[in-house]
Amino acid sequence: MGQDNVVEITGLTHDYGEVVALRNLDLAIPPGVTGLVGANGAGKTTMLRLLLGLLHPTAGSMRVMGHDPETEPLDVRARLGYMPEGQCLPNDQTAADFVSYAAQLAGIPKREARRRSSETLFLVGLEEERFRHLGDFSTGMLQRVKLAQAIVHDPDLLLLDEPASGLDPAGRAQMLRLIQRLGQFSINVIVSSHVLTDIEETCSWVVMLDAGDLLRSGPLEGFERHGTVQVEVLTDAARLAERLTNRGFDVTVDNRRLVVGPGGDAIEAAVVEEAAAVESGLIRMVRGSASLEDLFLRPGGEGL
Amino acid sequence: MTDQIIYDRGYRTYDGPRTGPKGARRAVYREGIRRVLGLGRKARQKVFPWALISIALIAAAIFVGVHWAIGNIEESFREGVPTYGGLFDFYSAISLLFIALAGPQLLAPDRSAGALSVYFSRPLTVDGYLGAKVGSFATVVGAIYIVPQIVLHLGLGLIASEGFLPYMGDTLDILWKVPVTTLAFVGLHGAIVFILASIIDRTGIAAAAFLGLIVAGSGVAAAIAAANFTGSKWIGLLSIDQHPRIIRDYFFGDTVEYPAEAAGFEVWVSVVVIAVVMAAALVFVRSRYRKLA
Repeated sequence: MGQDNVVEITGLTHDYGEVVALRNLDLAIPPGVTGLVGANGAGKTTMLRLLLGLLHPTAGSMRVMGHDPETEPLDVRARLGYMPEGQCLPNDQTAADFVSYAAQLAGIPKREARRRSSETLFLVGLEEERFRHLGDFSTGMLQRVKLAQAIVHDPDLLLLDEPASGLDPAGRAQMLRLIQRLGQFSINVIVSSHVLTDIEETCSWVVMLDAGDLLRSGPLEGFERHGTVQVEVLTDAARLAERLTNRGFDVTVDNRRLVVGPGGDAIEAAVVEEAAAVESGLIRMVRGSASLEDLFLRPGGEGL
Repeated sequence: MTDQIIYDRGYRTYDGPRTGPKGARRAVYREGIRRVLGLGRKARQKVFPWALISIALIAAAIFVGVHWAIGNIEESFREGVPTYGGLFDFYSAISLLFIALAGPQLLAPDRSAGALSVYFSRPLTVDGYLGAKVGSFATVVGAIYIVPQIVLHLGLGLIASEGFLPYMGDTLDILWKVPVTTLAFVGLHGAIVFILASIIDRTGIAAAAFLGLIVAGSGVAAAIAAANFTGSKWIGLLSIDQHPRIIRDYFFGDTVEYPAEAAGFEVWVSVVVIAVVMAAALVFVRSRYRKLA
């Protein structure tokens, strides 16, 4: 594992009694914006709490920004920002006071904390509302305050647990734009979500969990290589389909058009080869990208 | 009219000093004081604490005024007017109300709002968090006890027939008796209210439970102790609120005979009871928050 990885995990297991939340994970997360995806109960929040040092692993080890959260939890937490999924804001404080308080809790001196509180609330679009009490805020505004408190102290790594949870489509789009913007500011982010389209829109790396097991960890671009290939030929589409099927590819035929795959780069090579063999006359070959959701929902994580 | 432009400065990194866990504890301590006093909150949250603070200070001023008025008639009459011990007694109801307000305010809202998940994601331990909360409580509630005593002490000094400085010199023992008595009141009541506030999420219910336990619980325990059956004298010790009062009486002179005194217990038993309750609260609240963190 490289030293530049923001998170390095080896043989990590965590259980709650008889329920195994994470099972023997080996994982390295590079700098950038990473999506942590999985259905509810997949182990996403458990992983975030382990990274914060709030839970202790049953087995295995972790390094977060070069520190061990098990033995140096305060060093880790000093450099992390965390946005919990659930409610975490006191109704009786103003947004400016709470975000300033959150900065001071992370070790920022009081005067600087107040300055950064205003700037951060400006960044998340709450400059006008910062002196209002949080009890008067809408769900979307509260989510933005939660994000503000997580980034106010300039963390090295930001952990966002379901940041778009409970938001309407417009609010969700705004939140995703904010997260993308954090990536542009070179803040390392791990975004946990069960909404795969959110991850597709914001992340460059994806970690997929399923019932505590690691399905896949890799760059998001790689997923495109798992899509289907659409082929159009002049003639003999049925024969071409038969030969491709014999080579182990899934093929559907619609007149002169075929859809082959999903699968990796081998599809294109096979199509070219077989189309030449049956002299089908290859007119067009286009790879379609599979959505993260298509791949994740495929039984057994095929093609991942 | 000038054009007003808002500049988007993006995100500014921070390379300045970081105060670490110590700074986090200080922040919790400061915020605790602000919460109890309603600072930075809506007006209705300021009314109750500041009304009680005002009443406590006015009570001290009234005591000084009574001493001055009676002293003008006949100096020897002042011996019958209560001073430091009496002032403790006079505003005990105010102090209890303030403690019932402060304890739940310090613990319950953080929990019910889910804010602990944010706080413990910072370089802050459970012990640091609770220690800072205890510090906030001791500062504000201690001040509620001590500041009126200071007002009284300075006032009595100003009206003393022997003069201000000689009076101060003659009453040096007040400088430790008042803080020790305050510690007994704040320690015992604080321990009980922290236990209740650590398990009851609603501040109003926690406050009511505290007042009910102190007032009704002590009354019931005293009544059972008075029944005079085998072991009833030990039940008299459960009349919790009497113990700081017994310590106060030890320093400032007896007022009434409390159940523990009637049962023949010495003052050190009250000291032990207070210490045991404080230790039990420490273990209980710490254990509860370790599970929550």
